[in-house]
Amino acid sequence: MLLKLLQLSIRNILRHRRRNGVMLAAIVVAVAAVVLMSSLIRGMQEDLAETAVASLLGHVKVLAPGYRDDPGIQRSFALAEDWASEVDEGAVAGWAARVRVPAVIMSERGTRGVQFVGVNPAQEGISFLGGAKIVGEFLRDGADGRILVGRALAEQLETKVGRRLVIITQGADGLSREAGFRIAGLYEAQGENLEKAFAFTGVDALQRLLGAPAFTELSIRLHEEPALAPMKERLAARLTDLDVLDWRELAPQAAAMFLFADAAIFIWFLIMMGALVFGLVNTLVTSVMERVRELGMLRALGMRPSSVVLQVVLEAGILMLMGVAVGVALAGAVIYWLADGIDLSLWAEGVETFGMSTVLRPVALAEDVLLIVAMSLALGVAASLYPAWRAVKVRLLEALGR
Amino acid sequence: MSSASQAVARCVNVSRIYEEDAVPVTALTNVDFELAQGEFVGLAGPSGSGKSTLLNLIGGLDRASQGEIAVDGVALQTLNETQLADLRLHKIGFVFQSYNLVPVLSAQENVEFILQLQGVHPTARRERALDALASLGIGTLAHRRPGELSSGQQQRVAIARSIVTNPVLLLADEPSANLDSATTEELLKLLRRLNDERGLSILTATHDPLVMGYAKRRVQLRDGAIVEDAAVSGA
Ligand SMILES: Nc1ncnc2c1ncn2[C@@H]1O[C@H](COP(=O)(O)OP(=O)(O)OP(=O)(O)O)[C@@H](O)[C@H]1O
Ligand SMILES: [Mg+2]
Repeated sequence: MLLKLLQLSIRNILRHRRRNGVMLAAIVVAVAAVVLMSSLIRGMQEDLAETAVASLLGHVKVLAPGYRDDPGIQRSFALAEDWASEVDEGAVAGWAARVRVPAVIMSERGTRGVQFVGVNPAQEGISFLGGAKIVGEFLRDGADGRILVGRALAEQLETKVGRRLVIITQGADGLSREAGFRIAGLYEAQGENLEKAFAFTGVDALQRLLGAPAFTELSIRLHEEPALAPMKERLAARLTDLDVLDWRELAPQAAAMFLFADAAIFIWFLIMMGALVFGLVNTLVTSVMERVRELGMLRALGMRPSSVVLQVVLEAGILMLMGVAVGVALAGAVIYWLADGIDLSLWAEGVETFGMSTVLRPVALAEDVLLIVAMSLALGVAASLYPAWRAVKVRLLEALGR
Repeated sequence: MSSASQAVARCVNVSRIYEEDAVPVTALTNVDFELAQGEFVGLAGPSGSGKSTLLNLIGGLDRASQGEIAVDGVALQTLNETQLADLRLHKIGFVFQSYNLVPVLSAQENVEFILQLQGVHPTARRERALDALASLGIGTLAHRRPGELSSGQQQRVAIARSIVTNPVLLLADEPSANLDSATTEELLKLLRRLNDERGLSILTATHDPLVMGYAKRRVQLRDGAIVEDAAVSGA
């Protein structure tokens, strides 16, 4: 019986090729647009998170209490050798212990304020620094006493690789330190803001300059976001006298954008699907009203009211299913085509302000696509119930036109 | 169930008043009517006399305002919409004036459809549908859709569909209204043959005097009441 109804529904769809074709096209476009849009927003979201996490934050960061309000070597901590093995549990992709202090950087031509960061280059695979393009040389190791500055900062300071820069900062004893550093290389980062914000040197070299064998931050990168909450808990339990913060707390703007993107996907979906449901109801009402006599005849012959409803719902369901399938396929093709990303460099400055990279890559999440498919089908069924209900509520004799 | 002594359709004191409009219209008043197994009854009467109304009530397409109607011993007023649909499906064959067939289905599929509604097995279904079409002389048109058939051929398909379920009663409301007189005669011969050969009970409403040459009993309606009820002489 269901098969027969299915056959009837399919033939009815085929009977009105043009109208149903238009409807189908609308569903395809709407579904494709929703999938595409959500994948772009997901891409943006992933990029936001990646940029935030990679900008020295990591997923989780450990700081000494008070460091955030008043950063300096006074607020530092020592790190036990075995700290990682106690909390890792397979979740950690990598970690870096750094010294970060505010400093003034000077060339013969200019002076700027920067965050001066002592790093162990071997650990920096977890941050943007590990993958940054370098003009000149990267730091050799933690003992490397040269300096790495951003390309944009070097331009401002009108200096280049091989020249010397002077750093002025505060030591552990509260006294001012001044030291010269030779430029090992210039790094390029996503956006000039980053390039102007940080200057790097070997962590041991900086510790020696500041007079403290301690770190100011421990940045931990995880394999995946969901491992974050339990990791935070384990760290907090282990490092009781330190602050354990995640990237959302440290980059609230990016975190807010992240949440906003979630909402944007949903709102976009509601708008597109809302318009679609209007069209679908309209098409179905027209098609049902046009067939009142035919449906009446089927009822007269003994087709149960529930079967009549089912037939109309099936019709909408099939239309939706085809539209969703083609729409998802179309979106998939476009996403594949855009896999290398959309170059946003034309608007690069605006984009960077939001903490995003200049290339936007769509990211199609299976759960988003599934949600869109499921909701579309549910909406299709819901939208067809009303016309179907009308079809069986018309008095039989009226339907038969007598 | 249906036995010689039991009426296939029985109306007792049936009235139908249409109250949907501002002024109520009385279409049938206190009609008593009985149709026995194997009868071929022609309902005659001027336009608006209530022929269709009576047919629709007996067919369970409409509900009486008053009185009792039983088909094959089942009191229709006790049935809900679904039960009424099932009764139509299993006990009654309908042939309407026009727009009888599902346009997207072939002749054979139209006939099979009703068996499908009944849940008949596919092989039996196909066989019975083709048999019914063949017995009405349109076996060769089985694969055409209604749009590819003449009105007369369409009515034959409709009759094939109405008898393929072996109903206890065939109801036909002006089955020949859209047909020329030659085709009408053919159709009537067909109905008579079904009545003679299979003992199919038939109730048909018509303006057409031709019909009375084939029906065995004639019931005349006027203003919603039966004014004459007699065997057709020479039938
Ligand atoms: N749905 C309705 N609403 C109001 N009045 C109706 C309705 N259907 C029928 N009537 C009225 O009931 C009366 C009987 O109608 P019915 O259709 O039974 O007549 P009929 O004998 O079949 O006529 P015809 O030969 O023209 O088909 C008529 O006066 C008609 O106007
Ligand atoms: Mg009539």
